[in-house]
Amino acid sequence: MQLGDNISFAFPEIWLAISAMALLMIGVFIDSKYHRFISFGAIFSIFVALFLVNFGTASENASLFNGAFVTDGFGQFSKSVIYVAAIFAIILSDRFMERERLARFEYPVLILLSVLGMSLMVASTDLISVYMGIELQSLALYILATFNRDSRRSTEAGLKYFVLGALSSGLMLYGMSLIYGFTGATTFEAIAAGADEANRIGLIFGMVFLISGLSFKVSAAPFHMWTPDVYEGSPTPVTAFFAAAPKFAAMAIFARVLVEAFPAATDALSDWQQVIVLVSILSMVVGAFSAIAQKNIKRLMAYSSIGHMGYALMGLAAGTSQGISSVLVYMTIYLIMTIGTFACILMMRRPEGMAENISDLSGLSQTRPGLAIMFSALMFSLAGIPIFLGFFAKLYVFMAAVNAGLFVLVVVGALSSVIATYYYLRVVKIIWMDEPAPEFERDAGPGVKGVAILSTVLIVAGIVVIMPFLNIAAEAAAATLF
Amino acid sequence: MTFAGIAFWAFAISTVTFGLLVILARNPVHSVLCLITTFISVAGLFVLMGAEYLAFLLIIVYVGAVAVLFLFVVMMLDVDFAELKSGFAEYLPYGVIVGVVLLVNIGLVVAAWQLPTDPQLAQPYLTGAEMTANLEGPNNAEALGMVLYTDYIHYFQIAGMVLLVAMIGAIILTFRERKGIKKQNPGDQAARKREDAVEVVSVQTGKGI
Amino acid sequence: MEPFVVLLPLFGALLAMPIGRMVSARAAELTTIAFVLMACLIAWVLFFDVAVGHNARTIQLFTWIGSGNFIADWAVKLDTMSVIMLVVITSVSSLVHIYSVGYMHDDASRPRFFAYLSLFTFAMLTLVTADNFIQLFFGWEGVGLASYLLIGFYHHKKSANDAAIKAFVVNRVGDFGFALGIMAIFFIFGSVGFEEVFQAVRTDAVVTPFNAADGAPISELTVGFLGLELHALTLIGILLFIGAMGKSAQFFLHTWLPDAMEGPTPVSALIHAATMVTAGVFLVCRCSIIYENAPDAATLVTFIGATTAFFAATVGLLQDDIKKVIAYSTCSQLGYMFFAAGVGSYGAAMFHLFTHAFFKALLFLGAGSVIHAVHHEQDMKKMGGVRHILPFTYAMMIIGTIAITGVGFPFLYDIFHFPVGTAGFASKDAIIEAAYAAGTEGRTGAYYAFAMGLIAAVFTSFYSWRLIFLTFHGKSRAPDHVMKHPHFPPNWMLLPLAVLAFGALFAGMLGYKSFVGDKAASFWGNSIYIAGDAHAGGESHAVEAYAAEATPPVEGDHAETPAIASAEDPAGAAHDEAEEHTEGYGEEGEGHHFPLWVLYAPLLAMLIGFGTAFAHYMRGSDPLRPGLLREGGILYSFLKNKWYVDEVYRFLFLNPSRRLGRILWKIGDGRIIDGLGPDGLSGLAGFGSRLIVRLQSGYIYHYAFAMLVGIGVILLIVRLGGAQ
Repeated sequence: MQLGDNISFAFPEIWLAISAMALLMIGVFIDSKYHRFISFGAIFSIFVALFLVNFGTASENASLFNGAFVTDGFGQFSKSVIYVAAIFAIILSDRFMERERLARFEYPVLILLSVLGMSLMVASTDLISVYMGIELQSLALYILATFNRDSRRSTEAGLKYFVLGALSSGLMLYGMSLIYGFTGATTFEAIAAGADEANRIGLIFGMVFLISGLSFKVSAAPFHMWTPDVYEGSPTPVTAFFAAAPKFAAMAIFARVLVEAFPAATDALSDWQQVIVLVSILSMVVGAFSAIAQKNIKRLMAYSSIGHMGYALMGLAAGTSQGISSVLVYMTIYLIMTIGTFACILMMRRPEGMAENISDLSGLSQTRPGLAIMFSALMFSLAGIPIFLGFFAKLYVFMAAVNAGLFVLVVVGALSSVIATYYYLRVVKIIWMDEPAPEFERDAGPGVKGVAILSTVLIVAGIVVIMPFLNIAAEAAAATLF
Repeated sequence: MTFAGIAFWAFAISTVTFGLLVILARNPVHSVLCLITTFISVAGLFVLMGAEYLAFLLIIVYVGAVAVLFLFVVMMLDVDFAELKSGFAEYLPYGVIVGVVLLVNIGLVVAAWQLPTDPQLAQPYLTGAEMTANLEGPNNAEALGMVLYTDYIHYFQIAGMVLLVAMIGAIILTFRERKGIKKQNPGDQAARKREDAVEVVSVQTGKGI
Repeated sequence: MEPFVVLLPLFGALLAMPIGRMVSARAAELTTIAFVLMACLIAWVLFFDVAVGHNARTIQLFTWIGSGNFIADWAVKLDTMSVIMLVVITSVSSLVHIYSVGYMHDDASRPRFFAYLSLFTFAMLTLVTADNFIQLFFGWEGVGLASYLLIGFYHHKKSANDAAIKAFVVNRVGDFGFALGIMAIFFIFGSVGFEEVFQAVRTDAVVTPFNAADGAPISELTVGFLGLELHALTLIGILLFIGAMGKSAQFFLHTWLPDAMEGPTPVSALIHAATMVTAGVFLVCRCSIIYENAPDAATLVTFIGATTAFFAATVGLLQDDIKKVIAYSTCSQLGYMFFAAGVGSYGAAMFHLFTHAFFKALLFLGAGSVIHAVHHEQDMKKMGGVRHILPFTYAMMIIGTIAITGVGFPFLYDIFHFPVGTAGFASKDAIIEAAYAAGTEGRTGAYYAFAMGLIAAVFTSFYSWRLIFLTFHGKSRAPDHVMKHPHFPPNWMLLPLAVLAFGALFAGMLGYKSFVGDKAASFWGNSIYIAGDAHAGGESHAVEAYAAEATPPVEGDHAETPAIASAEDPAGAAHDEAEEHTEGYGEEGEGHHFPLWVLYAPLLAMLIGFGTAFAHYMRGSDPLRPGLLREGGILYSFLKNKWYVDEVYRFLFLNPSRRLGRILWKIGDGRIIDGLGPDGLSGLAGFGSRLIVRLQSGYIYHYAFAMLVGIGVILLIVRLGGAQ
C-alpha cells in the first residue's frame, strides 16, 4: 500500500495545496476589497512551505509513491529558490494589480497552485508525475497570462501560450510514450536500467521529443517563439513571475530528467548532449540577435531570457556534477537579476499608464538617478560584466563546459554574449546619455522598491554576500543527482 | 480466426478509417460525427482487451460530453472552414517537407523496433481464454478503484488540483459580475420584512395619499 | 632617513596641486621647495656619510615584484655613484625650484609646474637609488614621463605638444633597447639585481641562461639574438647603451633634445641639462663592469660618444635660438661623458657629469634670465647689448662660459697637484687625457675620441662665446619697448645663479682628487670600475674592506693602504696597482706619460675658439654676418639643418611609417579589422536580428510550425550526428 508511505515528506506540497484551497474559499466569501489579505496569506503559506522544505522531515531524503515523489538535496534547493521567487512575484504584483484594476483574490491563489505544480515537478522521478506537475503549473500560468482579460494583448498572450503549450505537452507526451514503449517503465531509475542497444534509437527519439517539450517550458530556441508575445502581453508582474520561478523549475526538472533517466553510465549522455548543445547554441544566438531590434523593454527581457536559458543549458550540456551545479547557480542568479529588472520595469509608470518602451527610459539618470543606477547595474549584470553577479554565473557555466570539452559551445557563448552586451548597454546608454523623457510616477510602493533595491544590492555585492553559500549549496544539490 | 480476432480487425479498421475521415471531411459536422464513430470503435477495442470500464468511460465522457460539445461549438460558431483552409496550398510544401522528415524519422524508429520474440506477447490481442480468466478476479472498475487511491493516489490528487485550476480559470476568464441586471435573490426575498414592503397609511376621507 | 631623500619630492609632487588649489600657488611653490630642500639636505648628509665616510649600503624597502625567480626589490642603494647623483639632482632641483618661483611668476598653472618638477625629482632619485634594473627602469620611465609633461607644459602651443610627443617617441626607441637589455640580463643571469649580476661578471662566474642545457663562464658565453650568436655581455652592453642613447640624446637618437627646449627654461636646466639626460651616462657607469668585459660594446660607446660630441658641437655653431645652442652644447658634452666611459675612464665620465650639471644649469638659468628679461624672446638675433640691463646675469653667464669652455692653467698643476681652473677645465681635460691614455694602451676608438674631443672643444669655445657676444654685447637688436621695459629678474632667480656659479668655478678643483685623482679608488669604492682593479678575482672584496676601514680620506690615507693591502695579499697587490694607475692620470713621471701638447691641447682649442668668435662677433659692424661660413654654402646649409638628421628620419622612418600607418588604418583597420570585426559583426547582428524578428510573426501556426521544424531538424541531426 503506497498510502502507507510516510507522507510527512510531502508536507510542504500538502500544505501548499490545502492553503491554496483555504485561501480560495476565504477569498470567495470576504469582500473583494480585502484581496490583500489573500496576498499576505499566500506569502505566509509559501514562507511556511519554505520552512517545511528546509527544516522538516521534507529535508530528508526519501522516495514516495514508487518514485513519483522524492525528497533530496536537489529538490530542496530548487523548491527553496522557487518559493522565494514566488514570494517576490506576489510582492511585485501588489500595487500594480490595484492600479490596473486587476486586484483579485484568485491571483495569489493561482500563483500558489502554480508553485505547487513546480514543487511537485522538481520532486518527480517519474515521467507521469513530471507531466502532471508541468501541467498543473502551466495551466495556472496560462490563466495568469490572460489575467487582464479585458486587454486584447493579454488574452492573445494567454491563448498563444495555451495553444502552443498544449502542442508542447503533446510532443512531450509523445516522447514519454515512446520512452515507456521502449523501456516499459516510467520511473527514471527503471528507464536508465532498461536502456540497451536494442531500444536505443527509439529511446533517443522519445528523448528528443521530451527535450523539445521541456525546451518549450524553459523557452529555449527553437521552441521559444511564444516567449516575446507572452511576456509582452501579460501583466508585468505576471511576466516577472514567468521569467523567474517557472523557468527555474523547468530547468531543474530538465536537469533531473536527463541526468537521472539518461545517465552517463548508459552512454545516453552523448545522445542528449548533442541535442542540448544545439538547443543551447540556438538559444544564445536567437537571444543575442533578436533582442537588438526590440523597442519594448518586456520583449527585450523575453529575448534576454531566451539567451540566458542558452547559457544555463550550456552548463546542463556538460552533464557533469559541476555542470548541474553551475546550472543551479546560473538560474538562481538569473532569477535575482530578472526579478530586480522587472521591479525596475514596474516603476516605469506615467500618469497615462505603464511605460514599456525602451525609449521611455531616456534620460532617466536625470529624473530618477536612483532608479537609473539600479537599472544600469542590473543591465550590466545581465550582460555579464565582472564584479556583478551575472558575470560569475556565466563564468561557472563556461568553466563547466570547458571542463566537459565543449569548446564550440563556449566560443559561441562568448561571442553571443558580446553581441548581447550591445543591447544591454544600449539601455544603459539611453538611461544616461539621452535627453530626459517625462518623469515616472513615484508611487511604485514599498514592495517593488524594496525588491529592486534588494536585488541590486545582491548583484553588486553578491560576490561576497551570497556567492560562497550559493556555490556550496548548488554543489551539494547537484551532487544528489549523481 | 476467432470471433475476437474478427472483432479486433473490424474495430481497428473502423478506427483508422474514421480517424482519417475526421481530418479529410469537408463539412465540420461530418468531421465531428466521424470522431464520434472513432471513439466508439476505440471503445470496442477496449472491450476486446477486457477494459470494459475504460470503454464505457470513453463513450460516456468523450462521446456523450466532449464530442457533443464539439458539435455544439461547430454548429453555433458557424466557422467557415473552407476559408480557413484557403492558405493551405501556400503552406503545403513546407508542411509536407516537415511532415515527411518527421515521418521518415519515426519510420526509422518503427523499423528498428524489434517485436518481442515471445509468441504470446507478440499476439496483438488477447485470446478468449485470457479474457475469461480475468472474470475470476475483481472486475475492471473494482481493479481501478483498488489502485486509484493507493498506488496512484499521488497522480489522482494532482489531477484533482489540475481540475481545480481549470475550474478557477474558467471562472476567472468568463465570470463577470454585471451591475443593473434583474435577477432573483432568494436570500433577499426570504429576509424581506413587512416593514420594508408595506406602509400602513391611514387615509383620510376625501383626500388622496 | 634614507628613504626620505627619495620620498620627500614625491610628497611635494602630491601636495602641490591640492595646496595650489586650496591655499595659493605660492603656498604650493613653497611646499615643494621645502620638501626638495629637505631632500637636498639629506642628500648632502648621505654624501658625506657614504662617499667620504665610505659607508656604502643598500636599504631594502620592500619587494616590488616577486614572481618565481624574478625578484625586483624597492631599495635605496647608497654608494658613491648614487650619492653623487643624489647631490647633483637634489641641489640642482632645489635651485631650479627656487629659480622657477621667479621665472614662472606670471604663469597661471604654477602648482602643476611645481608638481611636475617634484615628480621628476622623485623619479630621478628612484632611478639613481635603484639596486636592480627594474627599479632603475621605473625611474627611467618616470623621468621620461615627467620630461614629457614638462616639455608639453605650455600645452596650448602646438610646437610644445609636438616636441613632447617627439621626445616620448624617440625615447621609446631607446627604451625598447633598454628593456631588451634588461630581459637579456634576466635571461642570462636569472636575476636583475645589480649586485648579483655585477658579481657574476666580476668573478667570471658560470651562468646558465634559461634555455641553455649547461652554463658557461660569462666571459665566454654566447647567446642567440636575431639569429646571430653574440657574445652575451656585448649584447647586453649594446642593448643597454641603446637605452642610454635615447635618454642621453646621443647621435641617432638626439633629435628630441633640441626640440625639448619648448619646455619652460627651468625645465631645460633641470631635466635636459643637469639630470635626466645624464641618466644614460649613469647607466653606463653603473654597468661599467659589464662594459669593461665587453670591449666591442665599449668601443661602440666610445664611437657614438665621440661622434655626438663632434656633431652636436658643429650644429651648435650656427644656431640662433639661445636655448638650442645650449641644448646642442649639452648633447655635445654628453658625448664627452660617453666616450670617457667608452675608453674606460668612468671616473672622468662621472666627474664631467658632476661639473657639467653645475655649469650647464648655470648657463640655462642664465639664458632663462635673459629670455625672461627680453619678454620671452629666444632668438639671439633679436638680442644684443643685454649686459647693460642684466649685469649680474652677464657675469654669471661669463662664469658659465669659461667653465664650459674649460678655462684653466695646466702649468699650475705641478705646483698644486690638482688642475687649477674652472670645473669644465678639470673634467674635460681629464676626459681628453683619458682618451689619449687609452689610445696609447691601444684601445679601439680612443684616438678617434681624442681627436673628436679636441675639435669639439674648439667648437664648444666658439659657440659659447658666440652666444655671449651675440646676446650681451653689441648694440641692442630688440624692439624698443623691450629694452626700455625689460623684466628685471627677481632675487628668486639670481640666488640660484650665484650658487651654481660657485659650483661652476670650484667643483672641478674640489672634486678632482676624489673623482679621477689619486683618491679615486677609495672614493668610488666598489661602485664603478676603476682601471686595473677589475679582473682580479677577490678585488671587490678587498676594495670593500678598504672602504670600510679606511680613515676619512680627507687627510690622505696612503700610509694605511699598504697595511690593509698586506692583510689580504693577492688582492692588496692588485690594489696597489690600481692606486698607481689612477695616480698616473695627468701626472708626469708616473704611470702614463703625456706629451706636453696633450696637456695643453684643450686649452689651446679653447683659445682658438674664443679668438675666432671674438674676431667674428666683437669686431666689425655686423654681428650677424655669417662668420666662418658663407651663408648659403653647402656646409652652411648642412650645419644649419643639423646634418639633415631630422629630414633623413622623416624620409626613412616618418614618411614610410606614416604611409604604412595610413594603409593599416584605412585598409587594415578600417576595411579588414573593422569590416570583418566590429562593423561587420554589428552589420551581421543587425541582419540576423531583422531575420529572426521577421520569423516572429505573431501567428500561432507559424510558431507551432517552427517548433515542428525544430524537432525535425534536431531529429535529423541526432540521426546523422550521433546515434548509429
